[in-house]
Amino acid sequence: MRRKIGFWGAVWLLPALFVMTATFAAAAEKVYINGIDANFPPFAYVDKSGNPDGFDVKALDWIAKEMKFTVKHRPMDWDSIIPSLKARKIDVVASGMSITDERRKEVGFTAPYWKIAQVLVGKKDAKITAEKALADGNKIGVQRGTTEAKWIEENLIKKAGKKFELVQYDSAPLAIEDVINGRIVAAAMDDAPAMDAVKKKPVKILGGFGMADEQFGYAVRKEDTEFLKKLNDGLKKLMKSPYWAELKKSYIDK
Amino acid sequence: MAGRPQLMRPSIFCEFCKRMPESLIAIGDALPYLLQGALVTLTVVIGAMALGLILGIPLAVGQVYGHPAFRRAIGLYVWFFRGIPLLAFLFLFYFGLCTALDINLSAFTVAIIVLGLISSAYQSQIFRGAILSLSEGQFRAARALGMSDLKAISFIVLPQALRLSIPAWSNEYSILLKDSAVTYALGVAEIMARAHFVATRTYQQLPLYFTAGVIFLLLTWAGTKGLRILEERVRIPGYTTHGM
Repeated sequence: MRRKIGFWGAVWLLPALFVMTATFAAAAEKVYINGIDANFPPFAYVDKSGNPDGFDVKALDWIAKEMKFTVKHRPMDWDSIIPSLKARKIDVVASGMSITDERRKEVGFTAPYWKIAQVLVGKKDAKITAEKALADGNKIGVQRGTTEAKWIEENLIKKAGKKFELVQYDSAPLAIEDVINGRIVAAAMDDAPAMDAVKKKPVKILGGFGMADEQFGYAVRKEDTEFLKKLNDGLKKLMKSPYWAELKKSYIDK
Repeated sequence: MAGRPQLMRPSIFCEFCKRMPESLIAIGDALPYLLQGALVTLTVVIGAMALGLILGIPLAVGQVYGHPAFRRAIGLYVWFFRGIPLLAFLFLFYFGLCTALDINLSAFTVAIIVLGLISSAYQSQIFRGAILSLSEGQFRAARALGMSDLKAISFIVLPQALRLSIPAWSNEYSILLKDSAVTYALGVAEIMARAHFVATRTYQQLPLYFTAGVIFLLLTWAGTKGLRILEERVRIPGYTTHGM
């Protein structure tokens, strides 16, 4: 019965066609995609009109122009940013990523471009030191999947046997919100976003908690050595140019 | 007026008044950006509904009229797609399957396919229920009039069953609408993702999530209303489930 096949064939063909057009649409001219965690001001966020902005975004734009490649920034979830890079969904992560040995096993990093310290943020009117904040029974917030989350768990909770409770959040600003609500005593995060929070919310930096300083670098796939070289060269040029100081002034020190 | 009990502590009230304009400005600023996200959400939902419909109908027909082995296979399909968590499936499809087969699908396309596949399992059960609610005599009568199985299903059973399915189908719409927010994990910039982005920049979490919630409510209202109108339009007078 030919008609039978014709009818059901047509029914099944539709989704197949749909998938195919989507595949062809995706295969266009090479544009490097930068995956950013848009919940990480001032390094990466989206501005009022919805465009990606931030220190890392503008820095990479400059490098792309200098080294003659096209880059697009795609906001995404921090949790899936390294899987996305490895699965070729994005080509680079310029979004305040700390260089760690563990991440080095998965991805290639450029030279470090920013030094970052880890701090605890508490309520503005809190009479508490960083050390006291980590006392037994307290709750400390942290962004899930970050180096500080891992460090605190391994060193303070497992090794040092501290008995505070670590509460994991989607982003650092959400942890700040709970500091203000009083659900947690303090939130651990990088110093730059912490300073950003201090400007916008009734919180203050309590101090460090013993974690060593870290360096930010751009991450690429290990096999993309050519692209990595391009980024490294561009980064070197950028850090020597006056634009670097300008970036710092307008994004970090403002 | 000493000694008079204060009904409202002025400090909190003033604080609220002071923050009102700030919140409204934040909402106003973010609204165009959030509405673009609503468009993304709607496209994903409509695409997934359509895919679910296209796959769901043959699945339902197969499960009712098919060969026992075929029926069991469809049962397995439905069990699988109804059982697997959306987030896990999104990750498996996007990072696993797409990479293994070396096809480069965008997060947006994967969101539609994954939501569509899951929805097809749910939708097939909606249609199956509707088909089973028709009296068996209809199918037999169609066969007796010389229609082939396929003709009887296409022209007698399905036109009635699909009409009966619309109320349950509007459920599927409102569920998909909210499920679509999960696709942010892949980087689809839908409503919730955008609300989150703006909230972290401005630290105006509550007004922004409130706005996102209102947009979802409006989308739910519009969609179910639209389906209600469709239900009326295609209604056969004196027939179907339409009550008084």
